[in-house]
Amino acid sequence: MKPDTRLKLDARSAHEAGDLNAVRLCCIKKVFDELEAIRNVSLDVAHGEFVSLLGPSGCGKSTLLMMIAGLLFPTSGEVILANAPVRGPQRDVGVVFQNPVLLPWRSVIDNVLLPIEFLRLPVEEHRARAVELLKMVKLEEFADALPRQLSGGMRQRASLCRALIHDPGILLMDEPFSALDAITRDELAVELLRVWQATRKTVIFVTHSIREAAFLSDRVLTMGRRPATVIDEVHIDLPRPRHIGITEEDSFNKYVRHLRKSIETSHEG
Amino acid sequence: MKDRRPSLFDVARWPIAFVAFLLLAWEGAVRYLGIRSIVLPPPSEIAVVIATRYDLLLTHLWPSLYLTISGFALSVVGGIVVAVLITYSEVLRRGLYPVIVVSQIVPKISIAPLFIVWFGTGTVSSLLLAFLIGFFPMAINSAMGFQSIDEEIHKMARTFMASRWQVFWKIRLPTALPHIFSGMKISVTLAIIGVIVSEFVASQEGIGYLIKLAGGLLDTPLMMAAIVVLSMSGLVLYWIIELAERRTIYWRATVENLAESGG
Repeated sequence: MKPDTRLKLDARSAHEAGDLNAVRLCCIKKVFDELEAIRNVSLDVAHGEFVSLLGPSGCGKSTLLMMIAGLLFPTSGEVILANAPVRGPQRDVGVVFQNPVLLPWRSVIDNVLLPIEFLRLPVEEHRARAVELLKMVKLEEFADALPRQLSGGMRQRASLCRALIHDPGILLMDEPFSALDAITRDELAVELLRVWQATRKTVIFVTHSIREAAFLSDRVLTMGRRPATVIDEVHIDLPRPRHIGITEEDSFNKYVRHLRKSIETSHEG
Repeated sequence: MKDRRPSLFDVARWPIAFVAFLLLAWEGAVRYLGIRSIVLPPPSEIAVVIATRYDLLLTHLWPSLYLTISGFALSVVGGIVVAVLITYSEVLRRGLYPVIVVSQIVPKISIAPLFIVWFGTGTVSSLLLAFLIGFFPMAINSAMGFQSIDEEIHKMARTFMASRWQVFWKIRLPTALPHIFSGMKISVTLAIIGVIVSEFVASQEGIGYLIKLAGGLLDTPLMMAAIVVLSMSGLVLYWIIELAERRTIYWRATVENLAESGG
């Protein structure tokens, strides 16, 4: 892949910080009404790393993600971002949700610029960046369209731009492709890798798709159900940049088999 | 755009044709059966009254219209303010909101004589009745609107560090607008009723007074002319709100589209 000039958009990203880990979870435990949802989860995510949390629906991985986003708090344990414990939503975090959650009365570009308004940053100065991000996901022609004029995949692309507009170091993705059809999913996965390659954000990606996790990640953590805990950790040593064709190769499928097995054993237990 | 809502004219064409047919039938029946004008005047006679006595009709229409619009405006402002308070105050939401909902049961019209006792037979009574009667649907609809914020959108806003104030202006208010407009449509028709009733009870002017007066004089054509003029004004007020709604809520093309984009 040719060197990407868009990189300079993201002056503050990834490796600049001195500390080792972008995100650190220490012995996280979460209890909802006496029901133990998460037990003893620890996790270190390096700067610029792409980590997936893989597990069945309702296993608490989204809860974990919302703790990193600062919307939920652990019963015990600590979430640490940039050497400071998380006490609420953070400026350095961008979130992509399962649904695009775009505001229907705002044009695509104004939706992308929404976090800028919330963070009280100058909107006009970020307009160029918004256009640049939309270009990156091939949505620039739809900048002035309303969300309802877009397909599901396009809406989710716009929501990715929104999560990146304020140039956060950390991108949290909560099953972002699960509401899309299989073909669009693959397309968006490739797109996401392209964006990630260009921006080198730290990504924590929650999914219940084994192939998606293996295709995208540097590292996959499989989580068991109730109470959720990390049961396996797999480093995906496949060359980057990755092409969708890689999913037909043996080296890839070896990982898929391994991940499937570790999830299945968790179900037996 | 393909998915635009049909224009007002497209929507109105069939009802207008139906009303025209009805008027013709009415005219024919009255003439054919020889019904006396004091019982049921034919539409043509009502039209003549409107055309010749428009001075009298307008003299009495203005005060009613003025009170209706003022009372309606008060109920819109009051209703939205109370809705915001209900939305943001736990105590009011638990205490006041159910009371407002339940007090809908009280027929506001029955309070009209009480208002006359308290505030006299002047404009104050009419204004207050128009306000009171329009206030409840306004407050309830707006409160529902402000609280119908999509939980996922709220979550999204919080992750991007939106303040409560920002959430209100950028999310809650636009979300509530469709509800606020339906509240306004109910309120404006109720405000008219409020004014007319209070004019029935005690007043020396206004279209309600004119209807009562014409009734007393057994001038049925004048009475019906007044009713027609009043209904037309109500229609225009409703239509203005409808127009404002279409302009304001540009993003909502059709209900199906909304349901589709909800995901």
